[in-house]
Amino acid sequence: MSADELTSLHRSGRVPAEFPRVPRLLDGATPDELARAGRLLAAVDPGEVLREHPGTPVLKAAVTGHGTLSGLVPSLTAELARHGTLLRPAASDFDSYVFDLSDPEGFAGDADVVLCVLDHDIVTGELPVPWKVTDLERVLAEKVSLVAGLAGRFAAASRATLVLNTLPLPRSVPAQLVDHRSRALAGAAWREANARLLRLTAEHSGVVVIDLDPLTAEGVPVTDPRLGVYAKAHLAPGLLAAYAREVGHLARHLTGRGKKCLVLDLDDTVWGGILGEDGAEGIEVGHSPRGEAFTAFQRVAKQITAQGVLLAAVSKNDLEPVREVLRDHPGMVLREEDFVRVVANWRPKHDNLRELAADLNIGVDAFVFADDSPYERGLVRRELPGVAVVDLDREPAGHPGALLADGWFDTVELSDEDHARPARYRQEMARRDFLESFDSIEEYLRELGVTVRMARAASRELPRLSQITLRTNQFNLTTRRLRQADVEALAADPRAFPLAVHASDRMGDNGVVGAVFARRDGGTVHIDNFLLSCRVFSRGIEQACLAALLRHAKDTGAAEVRASYRPSAKNGKVADFYPRSGFVPVAEDEDGTHFRHDLAELPEPPEHVRLTTDFEGTPS
Amino acid sequence: MRSIDDFVALVRDELGLPVTSETVGTGFDELPGWDSVHLLALMVVLERETSRPISLPDLLEAPSLAGIYELAAGA
Repeated sequence: MSADELTSLHRSGRVPAEFPRVPRLLDGATPDELARAGRLLAAVDPGEVLREHPGTPVLKAAVTGHGTLSGLVPSLTAELARHGTLLRPAASDFDSYVFDLSDPEGFAGDADVVLCVLDHDIVTGELPVPWKVTDLERVLAEKVSLVAGLAGRFAAASRATLVLNTLPLPRSVPAQLVDHRSRALAGAAWREANARLLRLTAEHSGVVVIDLDPLTAEGVPVTDPRLGVYAKAHLAPGLLAAYAREVGHLARHLTGRGKKCLVLDLDDTVWGGILGEDGAEGIEVGHSPRGEAFTAFQRVAKQITAQGVLLAAVSKNDLEPVREVLRDHPGMVLREEDFVRVVANWRPKHDNLRELAADLNIGVDAFVFADDSPYERGLVRRELPGVAVVDLDREPAGHPGALLADGWFDTVELSDEDHARPARYRQEMARRDFLESFDSIEEYLRELGVTVRMARAASRELPRLSQITLRTNQFNLTTRRLRQADVEALAADPRAFPLAVHASDRMGDNGVVGAVFARRDGGTVHIDNFLLSCRVFSRGIEQACLAALLRHAKDTGAAEVRASYRPSAKNGKVADFYPRSGFVPVAEDEDGTHFRHDLAELPEPPEHVRLTTDFEGTPS
Repeated sequence: MRSIDDFVALVRDELGLPVTSETVGTGFDELPGWDSVHLLALMVVLERETSRPISLPDLLEAPSLAGIYELAAGA
């Protein structure tokens, strides 16, 4: 990395001014370099960065746990900085997690996440000497029950996401038992305790449990004996750093900046060799040792894209031979229909990426780009700073590990919508072709047959509503992100009525594409937020829904409807959404522009949209 | 790390602490920005720089950065 550059920025006090460049400076940093960068960055006041760059995302994290965790803050600072995010940490006193989690209001306050870092010492520290497996089983059961109870109470009372973790099992625990039979039972009890912790995520939507086993399985030591004994830092710095990396990706998701599209190079990335030179028969994929390495990578790409991540290819090749391989080559796992778009031409890749982003109507910062060519990667890094670049090398056996080393596509929970997303984007490409066969957009929209249903959100739709607030950046009037627990709370509030917007047309079903968060307060209906997926803008869906909501407000005796627009870096195109439907600005403050509609004259819904509504809803 | 000036530069660049040759002898209680987290990081850094193990209990008893330098240099 440019470790030296960060040092010189630090020496000259220019870190706040240059903060947007920090993610690139940390690109490819080694663990040691990141640890050092974290210490330098943690010494910078987040307020100074915000003065220079007011739009910088901030994560407020409250840290608690059992052992000494002060080393976690620099690691978290570095990992968040990789995502261009500032950390506002609040570290608690040593070993106060029981107290902290019992007092969600006082401890979590307005934190976005609460990190409760558990370690093996909460169990081993309470074992008698000498101990038997039955002692271990008893303490494990007590501790897990304690944590489960704390998590349940916390999740019910706080809107912050609570992050727990499994207890790593250092060799020094089972090795104290000399017989294999006891060791095996100790291992079983330990894993059962961890399984109970992991299952807490199924019970509480606001709880995330990070499994430390896969991190230590990659060779990260659990303990540093001196730090453990003398400083009560029970988890080694390397493990805290690996944990911080997972939290960094979680934060990315929670602040609505998750990656959406994986873009793969083809030659020596998806298959071995150069298609243009070796021909379809000469490329390596499938039945050869190197070919199987590429097949394995394709299987991972396919696995990821089956979970709502879009897949695209950007390759320096002629298009026709590429399509032939994708269609006909017997060794391929990835096929043409797995890609939302295959771009094969001889233009610079950053130009192709820009165009692809425009076609998909997502930001280039939603891309993860993997390529084996240092030249192509360097160019994309320089031209498109928001793109996450995955370094692949000449050894294809390492491709899956390189792609999966960062959880770029991590999310708290998948919805049905995720599984259908790639197909919906491909439909969208078909719609575009359909559009091009019409003379006017009006004629196209009439032929498209847009059908919309806006209804009180059913309970099975609540995860999707939360997801829309987390993923949508452009058509998001206030950019207020809601966790699933927040949406559940709104659904239970008798005055609020969260609405799900479904859309379909002759090309297919779009699923739940939008959300309207409305609330009744006496004679006023408030629209707290209005969101629409970027796939379905500009088809009249938004105007139809807003007109219907105004009509409903008037019919049910409301005197006015109030709504706000809070500007962000990405939602400029909806600044005049409310005024265009007859809203009048009444105030402006740091929360944006506030509008009022007096319901005297209602806007006409677009003729081509067939809309049905159900504002009462039947709980399901 | 051949002198206390090298040590001061190391602390500034590795820990991000605004230490100078004037404040390097200041007690930890009075040192701006000092936190016990720095001690653990400093141990790792010093062991790397000197290729010698440092006793953490001794380090925990050092009254100031200058005291830590003596431990590392004299070890």
